Amino acid sequence: MARRFKRKGEGIAVSLPVQEIEILRTVPDQLGDVLRRPRDPDDPVSRRLFPTAYLDPTQEDAEQEWQELVHPELLRERLAHLDVVTDSLARGVERRGAIEVLLSAEEVQAWLGVLNDARLALGTSLGVTEDPDERTVDPETPEGAGYAMYDWLTWLEGDLIETLLG
Amino acid sequence: MSVAPLEVQDPELDEVVVTERPWIVIVWNDPVNLMSYVVYVLQKLFGYSRQKATKLMLQVHHEGKAVVSDGTREKAEADVARLHAHGLWATMEHPA
Repeated sequence: MARRFKRKGEGIAVSLPVQEIEILRTVPDQLGDVLRRPRDPDDPVSRRLFPTAYLDPTQEDAEQEWQELVHPELLRERLAHLDVVTDSLARGVERRGAIEVLLSAEEVQAWLGVLNDARLALGTSLGVTEDPDERTVDPETPEGAGYAMYDWLTWLEGDLIETLLG
Repeated sequence: MSVAPLEVQDPELDEVVVTERPWIVIVWNDPVNLMSYVVYVLQKLFGYSRQKATKLMLQVHHEGKAVVSDGTREKAEADVARLHAHGLWATMEHPA
């Protein structure tokens, strides 16, 4: 697949086919629902998005204090990223079957955060492993669709990081 | 600028400096985060060189975890918060 991100000055130019933009537009809403759920250490997705800081059980009080202090801020920051992605997608311009948007350096960080959070949430709920060859999933099932989405997000995020590190 | 008078070193002052055992911040391996992403985040948050960030990422990948920073409890708490904000699985501890 052709690269979707290209450096332009301080920012990055995005060019996504219309079908991909349509999928990406659904991400902030879905991810927002997951992020807004109350923090639940028994839920693997919640635990992965908002991990504990102290593993040591004798530090339980410090852990609770830290969570009370930090969780609202982590949540606020992540939800703000969703709005940045939605707003930047809204100003996209169609050109030859693709939507183009120029992202500022700050917006790029929000995009990176949303792509990574979406993969953390989806990948954890699918139970992905490091080796994609281990998978035995029927692509025609809902789980198969989940993996297709995950793989696309992975590819897109990889492209963005390569552009940033490049 | 004024010229400071010569300071007399008080030898007792040096003994007041206590080197406290530092807290350490650990990043754990997980199957989702991309290797390139971990390198990018370590460079961004800690100002590490590409080489150092890559070395730490590979340690996480192969050994399951790596110590990425250390310092006072407050610094460790702040570092863990920033790592969590970037989706890395990080914890802190105070080794004996």
